[in-house]
Amino acid sequence: MRAVRFHGRGGQGAKTASRILGTAAFLEGFVAQDSPIYGAERRGAPVAAFTRIAKDPIRERGVIVHPDLVVIADASLVQDPAARVLDGIDERTAVFVNTSLTAEQCQAQTSLPGRLTTLDLTDIALQQFGKRGAISALLGAVAGRLAGLHRESMSGAIARELADLGLAVPVIEHNQTIALQCYDAVRTVPLETGAAQPAASAQLQVPSYEPPTRGTARISAAANSILRETGGWRTFRPVLVPDKCNGCWLCFAYCPDGVISMTKDDRPVIDYAHCKGCQICVHECPTEALVAEREQEGAVAWKAK
Amino acid sequence: MTWQRETFKKIKQIPREEHVLPGTALCAGCGGLEALRLAAKVLGGDVVYVNAAGCFTMLAAYPFTPFKGSWLYTTMGSAPAGAQGVRDALDVLIAKGRLPKEEDLKVVVLGGDGSTYDIALSSTSGAITRKLDFYYFCYDNEAYGNTGMQLSPATPYGARTTTSPCSLQHPAGTTQEKKDIFEIWRAHKPPYIATVAPRYPLDLEEKFARASKFTGPKLFLALSACPTGWLYDPGETPEVAKLAVETGLWPLKEAIDGQVTHTYIPKRKPVEEYLKLQGRFRHLFEPIRQDEAIRHIQARVDDYWKQVNG
Repeated sequence: MRAVRFHGRGGQGAKTASRILGTAAFLEGFVAQDSPIYGAERRGAPVAAFTRIAKDPIRERGVIVHPDLVVIADASLVQDPAARVLDGIDERTAVFVNTSLTAEQCQAQTSLPGRLTTLDLTDIALQQFGKRGAISALLGAVAGRLAGLHRESMSGAIARELADLGLAVPVIEHNQTIALQCYDAVRTVPLETGAAQPAASAQLQVPSYEPPTRGTARISAAANSILRETGGWRTFRPVLVPDKCNGCWLCFAYCPDGVISMTKDDRPVIDYAHCKGCQICVHECPTEALVAEREQEGAVAWKAK
Repeated sequence: MTWQRETFKKIKQIPREEHVLPGTALCAGCGGLEALRLAAKVLGGDVVYVNAAGCFTMLAAYPFTPFKGSWLYTTMGSAPAGAQGVRDALDVLIAKGRLPKEEDLKVVVLGGDGSTYDIALSSTSGAITRKLDFYYFCYDNEAYGNTGMQLSPATPYGARTTTSPCSLQHPAGTTQEKKDIFEIWRAHKPPYIATVAPRYPLDLEEKFARASKFTGPKLFLALSACPTGWLYDPGETPEVAKLAVETGLWPLKEAIDGQVTHTYIPKRKPVEEYLKLQGRFRHLFEPIRQDEAIRHIQARVDDYWKQVNG
């Protein structure tokens, strides 16, 4: 069995990528299983999805604890303990990271164990599609290559899954072309589906009654959400060009998370520890004084229309 | 007679102080959070929030809370009943002299459209009938969002949700019409009801300021554009909200003791401009343009405004 785990940020397409991979395997005659983690599947929040591929019926269910291949859709996830990217990765695990760094640079920076390979899918998507958006087809194609699936089945699976999402035919075809270029471009690493890890022994926890004072989750602190830094959700960050700002307060008014405050002389200050990178301020700024920069590289990625 | 804002005339009058702090797990670009943050600036800090299960469950996900005050979590159907309990407790404490009257708290229900239009409708009806002194804040993203965008009674005709997909039988997706909860509330004759959209922050702030003068149920319906479920780029949340209002699909209005006033009269752009921005309506345009469905949506809006304008 090949066990593939996807990590992404909500909206990047990790869930669809796992479906594409599963469908491609199915088209090749394998038995396949794919599922996303159920929980806070939110824009920008860490999400995970799982694909199992085998020749024989798959009895295993649930999350993949010991993956053979891990596909990381956003490099920032490696540093995010909430994403639990490192769970069960060892030297034999193949790891793909969507980053502009080479595998060697990435390994040095992140100290990820495993056999690393990288490709800058976000950059390819920005170049080819001209906007940020889901990279599910690209992730799926790369995962398919690393899992040893054929080009044709990847192409077919992308067509099926994207059609299910209601995408138009030209958009699907464009995705197929770019995804297959990624399929060809990614440097492969040997995939070892080695010895299956023994499952942990099952434990049954018998629930007991607790009175509401004990059994209810009570938060006794006030306004402590600032301790949770959501800044890591960003793939793009809004950056102020001070000369262009006319001090109109619109960015402050529209920011859903309240991470923009105004100085006495009406200039916005962005709290990057908490900004989730929705780019509402970039879209709404009437003077283009806020621009979006890609988190890693620091180069201006796109401007609002 | 045109509606006049009395308290909030300029954008720089929006209070600087934040009452919903950052660090919540709500989606980037959440239109509901955008509306709540603005509302809370007027409601202030002396508030007990009673939160029905929904996306806003993620506001105070254990062990973190974005509020300086209290937040009580209830099931989807029972937030107004929870609010009754909190209100009664406060009243008893005040009557017994254990809480000074000036330290009284506002009771604010937070419910999504699934709660508001559907599961908590009866308990809301009961609370309004009992003239409960509370605020009701509905963040309406037109589907059961927290569980992955299933059809709710707030879902409009033609939208695609996970449980109303477009099919051969129903190429337009959702076949129902959006339930008119404003009119259902209004039939109860509460002192204050308003619709708001966070893209119009001064209109929103003004309505919360006006509501504070009334005792009894004060009900708000907030347009909550949803990048995750409506399928558009999170940065476009204000743009989507703006088009909802400018096309006339989301009328901004208030009702005082049942008397309705529209607080903004849009020039009414074609609904297409609003629909085209969102992936949940994409099937109305491609692969085959569904003129009949688009015409239907336009006709409903036209009829509504024909009635408004007499």
